[in-house]
Amino acid sequence: MVAPYIIHLAVFFGYPLIFALVLVFHRWDIVTEMQFAGSRNVVRLLGDDVFFQAIMNTGLFLVIHIPLQIVVALFLATILNEKLKGRGFFRTVYFLPVVVSGVVITILFQQLFAFDTGFVNNVISALGGKRVPWLVSPQWAMPSIALMATWKNVGFYVILFLTGLQNIPESLYEVAETDGASQWQKWRHITLPMLNPMMVTVVILSTIGGFSLFIEPYVLTGGGPMNSTMSGLLYIYNQAFYFNHMGYATTLGLFFALVILVVVLVQKRFVETEAY
Amino acid sequence: MLVDAWNADNPDIQIRLQPIPAGQSSEEVLLAAIAAKTTPDICSNIWPGIVKDFVRAGAVLPLSKFADFDSLATSRFPDGTVERFGSADGHIYQIPWKTNPIMMLYNPKMFAEAGIETPPATYSEYLEAASRITADLDGDDQMDRWMGYRDIRPIWHQRRFDYYTFYVGASGGKTFFEDGELSLDTAASNIVFSFFRDLYEGGHFPLTTFQRNPVLSGTIATVFTGPWEVVWLKDNAPPEFEYEFAPLPRPDGMSESPYTFGDFKSIAIFSNTEHPEAAWKFVKYLVTREADLQLLEIGGQIPVRSGLLSDSLYVDFFDHNRKLRQFAEVAPYTRGVDAVSSLQELFDAVAQQFEAGSVYRVYEPEEATRRLVKRMRLIHDWGS
Repeated sequence: MVAPYIIHLAVFFGYPLIFALVLVFHRWDIVTEMQFAGSRNVVRLLGDDVFFQAIMNTGLFLVIHIPLQIVVALFLATILNEKLKGRGFFRTVYFLPVVVSGVVITILFQQLFAFDTGFVNNVISALGGKRVPWLVSPQWAMPSIALMATWKNVGFYVILFLTGLQNIPESLYEVAETDGASQWQKWRHITLPMLNPMMVTVVILSTIGGFSLFIEPYVLTGGGPMNSTMSGLLYIYNQAFYFNHMGYATTLGLFFALVILVVVLVQKRFVETEAY
Repeated sequence: MLVDAWNADNPDIQIRLQPIPAGQSSEEVLLAAIAAKTTPDICSNIWPGIVKDFVRAGAVLPLSKFADFDSLATSRFPDGTVERFGSADGHIYQIPWKTNPIMMLYNPKMFAEAGIETPPATYSEYLEAASRITADLDGDDQMDRWMGYRDIRPIWHQRRFDYYTFYVGASGGKTFFEDGELSLDTAASNIVFSFFRDLYEGGHFPLTTFQRNPVLSGTIATVFTGPWEVVWLKDNAPPEFEYEFAPLPRPDGMSESPYTFGDFKSIAIFSNTEHPEAAWKFVKYLVTREADLQLLEIGGQIPVRSGLLSDSLYVDFFDHNRKLRQFAEVAPYTRGVDAVSSLQELFDAVAQQFEAGSVYRVYEPEEATRRLVKRMRLIHDWGS
């Protein structure tokens, strides 16, 4: 009875994991024989400034993206939970970017955010403002990507929050109203705590999604300017598929997985504690 | 067309032509094919920079082992070809097929409007021309016409067409390595970083990405490109569009430097072929004088062939194709890339320093070169 599960685990988890661990101690370019490399991959990782910068960049992305995502998604979900005219239409519209290919959206934003010729800067310029170096300044590039990622993904989190909002029993609000609670008090003491499980889900999902940041910098900036949008995943991809350093890329990948695990565990504990 | 002609004349050896499947680069696709053991018998569009990896993998046949290889090499290869395309084991695994030298394409109308009579020959002249070309045409305080354009994303292969092309010129035809050892010409590197730094600092190159071709739209006046542009423009440019080619600008004070980067492409036979002799026969057919003429006529690409301009077979073609003749004249002075491991990562290091030293000017060109040498040494030591 359990054989299918064991086979599945062995083929799709066991074998790749063991192979990855073997690769950590080898150099391999896919086409030639593996060569034993001892601890060279690990030593290189410890001195790899660009990789640690990539992790910091990913952290910066998360710091901007997650709060923005939650605030915007919660705001939109609260509005769409009201009995508004045409709310079905708006729910569809907000969800639309989620199902559109990331590459398509990224190319669209490449045009919108272009420094000299982009639509956004043309509008700013026409209004008398100074052009913003959205994608060509080390300070602006990652926030611009976070903005774009939020726009693309917010529809998904709106749906999650909407589900959470619709599961809150109406009776709780009725009791609060009887006690004379204001709108804010109802939201702070009923809505927010009742949304906690969904909040945890949203934070964890958007954290994991944030750590897998790839398409946006890959298409938009190539990791530049000055490595400011080099995400951990993009760096690992470059090592693996541009430079064919499979052993080193695997070492980076395993380290990166550990970082994600630690962050998610800490975050889960923190969010659960904070929200109650 | 060549394949059809071959198949008609050789019923016993039928060739099936297959375009390289779409990928980030043809090298990536071929590496995947080697790993999956699904390589074709022959590939005619191989970047020489990757051949060393193919040889290490045992994926390509040593062509110099074929009995009549030497006679082919003697009749076709220009001087120095064996040294530049040979492998460390003494064999040759590739036949350099086309040169693809990089030159400067410019828009003569834009030059004339700006009062520039001759194309700039030196860095100073280029910068001077750039200051006249780069302009705000609609009075909104933003430039909307520039001297040139490069994709500034730190993507390794992009740097072959700006930093490396100019490095080859400024160093008098040097590459990064000599006898397998890193020997970057730091003076040339400084000059090139400095040149592009001036261009970006002066706003003569935009920090943007164009979706439409900026040359055709008259948005930029010059571009560093290869002979393939002639065929592309023939098919895509409106009839009134005018363009010319000129040698790349050289550093001030350098009397002459015809050297440039050439994006060479080679032909190789993969070792999993079941028909090595037949494959070799077809490869020889691909590099005959007549086939090279078709490469010129159809592809507009410059074959790697000695005496190209003096051969009577090509005289008429070059008489009627002045622009491609310019490329053929530069062909003997083109330099490819070094046959070393981790070449992509070495160019990635260039891309990082190009951003820092030229585009964003975070540090001086000398510092960019110093960091480049340090990083290249680390990568080379790691890969060797």
